[in-house]
Amino acid sequence: MHPAAILGVRAALAAPAIAMGATFLAFGAAVREAGLSAGWALACAWAIYGMPGQLVVLQSASTGGGVFATVVGAVAVNARFLPMSVALTPWLRRHERDARPLLLAHFISITTWAAAMRVLPGQPVPARLPWFAGFCAGAFLIAGGCAVAGHVLAGEMPAALRTALVFANPLYFALLMAADLTRPGPRRALLAGAAAAPLALVLPPAWGLLAAGVIGGTVAFLIGRRRG
Amino acid sequence: MSEADWALLLTGLACLALRLAGVLLAGRLRADHPFIAWAASVAQATLAAFVALAVVAPSGALAALPLHARLIGLAVGVVAFFALRERLLPALAIGLLAVILVR
Repeated sequence: MHPAAILGVRAALAAPAIAMGATFLAFGAAVREAGLSAGWALACAWAIYGMPGQLVVLQSASTGGGVFATVVGAVAVNARFLPMSVALTPWLRRHERDARPLLLAHFISITTWAAAMRVLPGQPVPARLPWFAGFCAGAFLIAGGCAVAGHVLAGEMPAALRTALVFANPLYFALLMAADLTRPGPRRALLAGAAAAPLALVLPPAWGLLAAGVIGGTVAFLIGRRRG
Repeated sequence: MSEADWALLLTGLACLALRLAGVLLAGRLRADHPFIAWAASVAQATLAAFVALAVVAPSGALAALPLHARLIGLAVGVVAFFALRERLLPALAIGLLAVILVR
């Protein structure tokens, strides 16, 4: 195994993945409350591997939302996977025709993306893909393990802890972004995205978030280009 | 298979398709290409919009938390993050503790 892969695994077993694990604990507990099995919690965590989409599928599983509407809603809240994969791929390739990033595409999530975008540019080219593979393996196992643990422990958690864990996901995403607020490019995109968020309240729920992201991100990009 | 299982399976496949499409769209472009920079900008803006909505106008279980608890939890967490020299885990714990205390 490439030594960078070991470093990636070790990076995954640190703060970001533990914080992510807290959100999967909450997810596992919520799956149990909805009357679904631990296996379903694991399948949902590993097959979708994007918390906002997982929550949409879970919510519709407990209320009966209809398959088509559920899939459209879940995909819309996870649609950022597309631009995230585009932005990450140049950092994973070893050469122009390198197809190996396709093998890791499924593991691109907010946690792995945020870590990779920060670490990979400072790594030598041959070490990048192994580092990312190691990080993804660690994060994926933590996510699945925590989803199952949350399901098993759901009854044992005090009410206060469960309440707090519900908020763990947005706060965790917010803190991942806060680290980027010190860099001008990402800061512009984050502020523009937050400013465009009200669009999601007036547009149909499935497309509102998507529209806010595309419009906010494009405006931030254009401003960045003008400023050079 | 139940409806929930079908929704899970199809959403999983669709998310995988989005990720694969992103890798293929990036093609041979380099990291400093405008299209790549635009995609990163859209990804970050989408995430920011998601968090803003989750805090200000959430649905589902989050809506059971009062607005002031969500706002205070976010503010305390972010302040703790910078006060603790960008350490993620303690900041997350402190923000969540604040939510429990003020809800």
